[in-house]
Amino acid sequence: MPLGIRLFLLLLVLVITIMLGVIAILIITGTFTAGVSESEKLVENELNHAAAEISQQYGELSVQTIEFSKQLSQNIEKTAQQLGVPIAKLEEHPDRLEEIIAAQFDQAYFSLQKSKSTGVFFILDATVNPRLNNANYSRAGLYLKNMEPNIISASTPNIIVFRGFPSIGRINSLSLDTQWKMEFDVRQAPYYHLPMEAARLHQELPLSRLYYWTPATTLPDTSDEVMICSVPLIDSQGNVFGVCGFDVSGMFFKLSHMPHQTVFNRLFCVLAPQTGSTLNLNQSMVSGGYSVRNIIQSNSPLIIKENKRSFYSYRQSNNSAFWGLHTPVRLYPEGSAFANEKWLAAVLIPEEDLVASVAKLNVLLISLLSILVLLGIGASLFISQRFLRPISKGLEIIKSDDLSRAPLTKVPEIDDLISYLATHNQELYESAREKNFSISILDEFVNNTDKLSPSERSVYNLYAQGYTAKEIADSLFLSINTIKTHTKHIYTKLNINSREELLLYVNLLEEISNYQESIADGVEPPENSSEKPTAVDCLPPFTQ
Amino acid sequence: MRKHLFLLIILMVSIIPLWVGCGSLEMKHPSQPVTLDLWHNYGGQLKNTMDEMIDEFNETTGAEQGIIINVTSISGSATLHEKLTMAANGDPGAPDLPDITTAYPKTALSLADKGLLVDLRDHFTPQELSAYIPEFLQEGRMQDDSLYVFPTAKSTEVLFVNTTIFNRFARETGASMDDLHTFEGIARTAALYYDWTDQQTPEVAGDGKAFFLPDSLFNYSLMGVIQLGSEFIRDDRIDTATPEFRKVWDYYYKLAVLGQAAIFDGYATDLAKTGDIVCSIGSTAGVSFFSPTVTYADNTSEPAELAILPYPIFEGGKKTAVQRGAGMSVIKSSPEKAQAAAVFLKWFTSPENNLRFVSSTGYLPVTEAAFGDLMSQEIEHTSDHNIRKLLQTCPLMEEDYEFYIPPLFEGIDQLQIRYESQFRDTASQSRDSYLDSLASSDSRSAYEAVSADAYQNFVDKLAGK
Repeated sequence: MPLGIRLFLLLLVLVITIMLGVIAILIITGTFTAGVSESEKLVENELNHAAAEISQQYGELSVQTIEFSKQLSQNIEKTAQQLGVPIAKLEEHPDRLEEIIAAQFDQAYFSLQKSKSTGVFFILDATVNPRLNNANYSRAGLYLKNMEPNIISASTPNIIVFRGFPSIGRINSLSLDTQWKMEFDVRQAPYYHLPMEAARLHQELPLSRLYYWTPATTLPDTSDEVMICSVPLIDSQGNVFGVCGFDVSGMFFKLSHMPHQTVFNRLFCVLAPQTGSTLNLNQSMVSGGYSVRNIIQSNSPLIIKENKRSFYSYRQSNNSAFWGLHTPVRLYPEGSAFANEKWLAAVLIPEEDLVASVAKLNVLLISLLSILVLLGIGASLFISQRFLRPISKGLEIIKSDDLSRAPLTKVPEIDDLISYLATHNQELYESAREKNFSISILDEFVNNTDKLSPSERSVYNLYAQGYTAKEIADSLFLSINTIKTHTKHIYTKLNINSREELLLYVNLLEEISNYQESIADGVEPPENSSEKPTAVDCLPPFTQ
Repeated sequence: MRKHLFLLIILMVSIIPLWVGCGSLEMKHPSQPVTLDLWHNYGGQLKNTMDEMIDEFNETTGAEQGIIINVTSISGSATLHEKLTMAANGDPGAPDLPDITTAYPKTALSLADKGLLVDLRDHFTPQELSAYIPEFLQEGRMQDDSLYVFPTAKSTEVLFVNTTIFNRFARETGASMDDLHTFEGIARTAALYYDWTDQQTPEVAGDGKAFFLPDSLFNYSLMGVIQLGSEFIRDDRIDTATPEFRKVWDYYYKLAVLGQAAIFDGYATDLAKTGDIVCSIGSTAGVSFFSPTVTYADNTSEPAELAILPYPIFEGGKKTAVQRGAGMSVIKSSPEKAQAAAVFLKWFTSPENNLRFVSSTGYLPVTEAAFGDLMSQEIEHTSDHNIRKLLQTCPLMEEDYEFYIPPLFEGIDQLQIRYESQFRDTASQSRDSYLDSLASSDSRSAYEAVSADAYQNFVDKLAGK
């Protein structure tokens, strides 16, 4: 495997290790679940804020209801006395009801304007027409609605008559509500029956222990949801003769307790009665950016389930699910006839919104990590290539002809190596050059032997074997002068001057021949090789 | 290589913020929805229809495009006008302006003057706008032709008649519903009704009951004068010098003083609930405010059948009726919200949805398509008898009547309030004087005595003299 790939893989391992380390740290520090924690903090803040506001609003309204009841009871008793009607026998004087009720208009009107509520009412235990079929559940009274409780200085009348004699509206220039009726239908009116029953059952209890908050309800023939706080009307003799109270409309609750929707647009706040571990949205007041109409229509409560690490889950049987937090809200004091009624404030987020929010954060983190890994891979590739480049360049330089004139690689170690090789090569070259010089004389000598004639070669061979001129003349049966003539030609052709010089060349050639045989590891020269060993053959291999 | 690396790093650094910020760049994505606060004046029984439609929008188109409509106020139109004005002026204690609101042109004009409204021409193509009834669009155009009020559901005025009472009265007196098509016929019937009711209690003289009430005396006068071929408003003032105005004024004044028309500072439906009037002129949208029963002083009640007749005309006058109804205005905030609001308006006024709203509220649809065959189909499916009658009457008016867009100028709101209250006060004072005079003179003489200077006094008072 090439060195570059080895180096790249090494760096890649390092990058991946670092990333795994980062991911491990993120997991340990809970960064991947930070979205849930952050959301939980946000919801907790919203809940604390909402619960405090709800407690304050409902607490103040409870106190105002009690005060209203005390004053109204006295005033009604006084008016009835002036008209000669015993308060305990109101139902026997239906013709006086309009006067009695109309006389309480001012107090009701101003109580409504003073309160943070959307309606004020009182119901007397009597009906204007006892002969009618509905007489047993139709009750006279007055119900004024404030359509815009948030606007203080309005020139147009925002208070209208919801229940009561139309004359009261016309005298006081108040419109009748679209869904106006003259009397209250108390058939399904816990706000009417329960406080009166409690007052009759617990005569020892003060008014502050007798007020009752109805779960959110839509009054008959109306479209607005309301929560009603009602308290009995009791005369100085202890006779319970009706109820009075205030209401909080769904819209008013929504506007008063709107959660801040900076992160979750569909975050919503509810005030709901708690039954066991369920929360009933169709009896709740809701505020926020989520429409619970469909959930309410399904009439199925939300089952509260605690999770180990974070939010509670609130799940409906049809799978509508929310996550959030809740806290108890005390609507009643200790010793109240309705102390068993548990209420809670909750701030909820649709499950899909929370999941989307956390997923978004994690996708972001994973995306960033992916980008870092990609950058790491790119950097590994780049670094490995950059690292190998001077080595490759060095090798190129080493392979080149002239190391001494090679450019610097700017890597000291490689430059040192090239410098060393350049010096070493120079020495070798010098040595070879010297050898080449002598070898070239031998080559020339050997080559010149080819110019010898056969007669001269015979004389040369004998000289090479150590014969003298005289011994050669004898051996060849020639005259000494002939030998001298041949010798003279031989010297001329071989460019030598004496027999001693000739013998020196011959000895040198023999030594070279012996050297060649030794470096050939004993390999025999080819049989058919008749050529004489040449100086070239004897040269060291590196000079080739 | 170095150059390539540098480019790569630049590219990565550029992509990361885009990646990180992609949520905010994608303005309308289901996971990052735009929430629009909506104020509307569709209260009472209209509220349920509006709630259902808004929920449906939020669950369908809204969910797809990341838009949530959040209703934060349901008020009467007068209160809504005041709230919007207070909010626009930044009055102490005033709520923040919503993102979308139902608004009458007079309200929109004051908001537009402060530069608070979105010109909706920027969010609708000319082709899209061409689907709407031009007169309805025209009413929302102001200043330099900017479209500040988008027609969502318009109305006109019609005559509502409690036929339960009328039929009982007609059986005994021979009165005819046909007479109610003209103001003169209504006057004759009112006189007949007063006498008939007076006779119900022979022991009490002069306790006859009122028959008729126009909801808005301003609109009544405006349309009366227009029908008779004159102008009610000239140079941003009421022209009281024309004989047509005098005729229209005298008509109501006389009926009111004689007790045949009601004098009432409120909606006619209030009096209709208690059987104190039999017929009234009011907005088509008022149909859902009519109680299905009439409750009398002794708490007895009876079902109230309603007939809906076209707007009455003065004999010899043109068939003209006023064009009413708030549209929707979009408050300036961010381009995302303006765009989201336009999506909602398109959905809300699409023929199917518009007709669904119309068929349960009594408003008129705003597109040509909805006024045609679709409306006929809708009429058949409407379960509310009163609205079915209304939807049957409206196309007849659309065919025969000319719809008149009331003039719009700064101060018309105050002028309208002043005109109505002074007209009522004049009639009321004269009525009291008339009743006093009856003790010493006959009806005709008593009326002539109290009415002698009434008109001139009214004109002087209106002119601020």
